[in-house]
Amino acid sequence: MTLYDKIIKLYPSLTSADFCPPLGTIMLQNDSDGKGDYIKSWTNSNPEPTAEQLAAITE
Amino acid sequence: MASSINASTSAGLVSTADLSGVLQLQSNGTTIATISSTGVQTNVGAPAFSAYQSSAQTLSSATYTKLQFQTKEFDTNSNFDAVTNYRFTPTVAGYYQVNGQFSVGSSATSMSPAIYKNGSIYKSGNNSTSNQNTATVSCIVYLNGSTDYIEFYGYLASGQALNATASATYFQAAMVRSA
Repeated sequence: MTLYDKIIKLYPSLTSADFCPPLGTIMLQNDSDGKGDYIKSWTNSNPEPTAEQLAAITE
Repeated sequence: MASSINASTSAGLVSTADLSGVLQLQSNGTTIATISSTGVQTNVGAPAFSAYQSSAQTLSSATYTKLQFQTKEFDTNSNFDAVTNYRFTPTVAGYYQVNGQFSVGSSATSMSPAIYKNGSIYKSGNNSTSNQNTATVSCIVYLNGSTDYIEFYGYLASGQALNATASATYFQAAMVRSA
């Protein structure tokens, strides 16, 4: 389950447009360094999820 | 032959003359620039590279991901890291023309390419919301010749594997003007 999938599951009202540059309010990034996807910036009206919240979301 | 002005480390300024109408500017015997009736030719090592993705990378949905370019077509100054960081860190300060493209096998609803400078978005390319399978970006960027570097990131609304061929997913840069 990707970070994007987890965020969508946490906030079902979000759409792909919320992540779409340059107008999206959520920017996810992966630096291809083995550390995986992460939240680069978050200006969405929903609060930025914590690491604990994300970890608790499973399939 | 040519006339020359040489800044020698042992003899100071040394000049020679002939009737060629050509003037060479030299640093300790090495010709840096040649001036003739056709203009100025510089011989300073102007870095240029071209690399492409030869091992398909799968991007997550809606996530700007650094693209990996494992195979070099050329790298005149050995300034592109095709093994670990997939970044171009030129050792000559100047202005660089940058081109990048990535491609997917199945059409994507939204895809966006971006050139990152020193870890942040510098310029982003086309981001169409209609079905497409190729996204390109080009820009000119100043790089200081020591610490500045550029990378190429790609965004797909719906994640999938990239088309890993030399003509489909590539990253290039070349110096167009010295600092």
